[in-house]
Amino acid sequence: MLIWLFFRPNQAFEVLSNTSPTANAVFFKLVIWLAAIPPVLAYIGGSKFGWRLGAAEPLYLAQDVLLKISIAYFAALLFGFVSTAIIAKWMASTYGARLSLGIHYAVVTIVAAPLVIGSIIHLYPDMFINVLVLVPALIWSMFLLYKGLPIVLRISPERGMLMASSMIGYLLVAFVCLLGVMVVLWGRGFGPAVGI
Amino acid sequence: MVSEENTTTEYYHDRVVTTLVMCSIAWAVAAMAVGVYVAAELVWPSLDFGQPWLSFGRLRPLHTNGIVFGFGVSALMGTAFYSVQRTCHIPLFLPKLAWFTAIAWQLGVLLGGLSLLAGMNAGKEYAELEWPFDIAIAVVWVCFAIVFFGTIARRRIKPIYVSNWFYGGLIIVIAMLHIGNSLAIPVTLFKSYTLFAGAQDAILQWWYGHNAVGFLLTGGFLGMMYYFLPKQAERPIWSYRLSIVAFWAFTYSYIWAGPHHLHFNAIPDWVQSLGMVMSLILLAPSWATMINGIMTVSSAWEKLRTDPALKFIVLSLAFYGLATFEGPMMAIKSVNIVSHFTDWTIGHVHSGALGWNALITFGTFYFLVPRLVGKELHSVKLANIHFWLALAGTMLYVLAMWGAGVSQGLLWLSLDEIGELRYSFRDIMASMPPYYLLRLFAGLIFLGGTVLMAFNLFKTIAGAKTVQVRPPAVHGAGASL
Repeated sequence: MLIWLFFRPNQAFEVLSNTSPTANAVFFKLVIWLAAIPPVLAYIGGSKFGWRLGAAEPLYLAQDVLLKISIAYFAALLFGFVSTAIIAKWMASTYGARLSLGIHYAVVTIVAAPLVIGSIIHLYPDMFINVLVLVPALIWSMFLLYKGLPIVLRISPERGMLMASSMIGYLLVAFVCLLGVMVVLWGRGFGPAVGI
Repeated sequence: MVSEENTTTEYYHDRVVTTLVMCSIAWAVAAMAVGVYVAAELVWPSLDFGQPWLSFGRLRPLHTNGIVFGFGVSALMGTAFYSVQRTCHIPLFLPKLAWFTAIAWQLGVLLGGLSLLAGMNAGKEYAELEWPFDIAIAVVWVCFAIVFFGTIARRRIKPIYVSNWFYGGLIIVIAMLHIGNSLAIPVTLFKSYTLFAGAQDAILQWWYGHNAVGFLLTGGFLGMMYYFLPKQAERPIWSYRLSIVAFWAFTYSYIWAGPHHLHFNAIPDWVQSLGMVMSLILLAPSWATMINGIMTVSSAWEKLRTDPALKFIVLSLAFYGLATFEGPMMAIKSVNIVSHFTDWTIGHVHSGALGWNALITFGTFYFLVPRLVGKELHSVKLANIHFWLALAGTMLYVLAMWGAGVSQGLLWLSLDEIGELRYSFRDIMASMPPYYLLRLFAGLIFLGGTVLMAFNLFKTIAGAKTVQVRPPAVHGAGASL
């Protein structure tokens, strides 16, 4: 499926549009494992190489702090997966799309796939290199969202465009919310030592 | 041909709208190009070639003034003149004054921009122009108010449509902010000192600064949205009642939010907390408007097949949602302690300026220009390419600044083993060029899209005249004035 997404995305979407996976099946067989990949890679990268935020020396975090951060990262990704699927299902009635939660989980999984693959760069935790790799992955994700959503959810491309844009609105807000929660946690002593 | 200056004619005065739209497009290209240049200077500082007028300190206010007052206000004036006539079913009040407002404003921005290049600067962000310009701006703004409110006063239908509430709010509040914040004692022809001292000056400055964002970049452009989105979707706004409630809630809560720019500064703590709480409350009316816009367009999806403009407006609403969520969040003190004085703020401003203001203006222009000149858009394909360039440029810009900003926030505050700051400011800034290079690339993509639009609309306008439109005859219960 993942290889199809790179070379024949339309074919992958068509196949998916004719299936009706259940929410549990997608969640336990795919989502939970895919969501675990970035935190595991980030944990390995962070403990072996330390985070390079640009300034001279890498920032090493204690193992237990790093573990806590990785678990929090996993929880945030799972929350992101689940909440996006639920929001998509909620939006579906407005745009006349399919209503089963399982198919929305599947759409979110497809859209997230390039980012999960791109997260391999977490093994080398240099902030800028990560941004550089994840930006093209994100562009690919957005392409899959705009292209795939109407096919899989069986709606017209125009309605798909509206729904995909609404989803982008939600995802941007969810991401910036994550940034906000992260810096509040720093301020409360969870994570790197900061002088607040 | 009937003269537009003849106030007794029953034609709308649209030539002034066409002129303002063309000026706005020209300012967009020029001021975004200056933005790209200053972005390049942050990567390669020697690009100032040792010339004071090419230095970052002079070009940066030129960029912001060119975008906000050149591109933004010209677009707002043009669309306000266009929509107020159609929502009041009457031609503009004092059309010669409307022409004076339009031309004098362009001259003011042009000469003001040159004065910034010459190093004249009042030292207040977004209010850099010196006192002679401040007086001129106030005079032109009052003319704008006379034309706009004069047209509303002579309207032929009783209700005042919601877009006019937002445009009216823009005109009144910006006059109040501009005159209040610009009160100064002139020392020479081009140097003045503000009337206020210390903390009061800071509070007043950010009362001005934040509400310029609020009533101009948000409220004014919401006026644009409330007129042009239902027009493009060819259906009424989803909930008219919600739009009016949102207007008053927005107007009441925005005016208090300014102190969040001064968190952890030498102003009273309770003022900071008040600014934070009012910023959080602001989320409700902002999102009410976003939902109203999205629900209006969601039932008009078939229009997307034929209308390249509508998708700009759809996407602008997504970025409006982001920017109006991110702003209140960054106003929370425990977030602001990390985000303040970092590039996160720059990213936030641009998610609003590029994603919301520019995209909704582009969508409006693609709708408006063909109707103004009575021709088809020169190239729908170019408009579609512009859409993807604008989306890519905005996303890249915001991501680059999130990366840079969060890194800076963490690095400024990092402590070493003995509790000293781990990194110097210089070291941190020396590590930023990769992000700034990415931002420069993003800016170039966005500018490229804007140039495509300028070409496309220029070809649409070329050789055509503004068409003349008559106000419709007004009958029935609504026509009680």
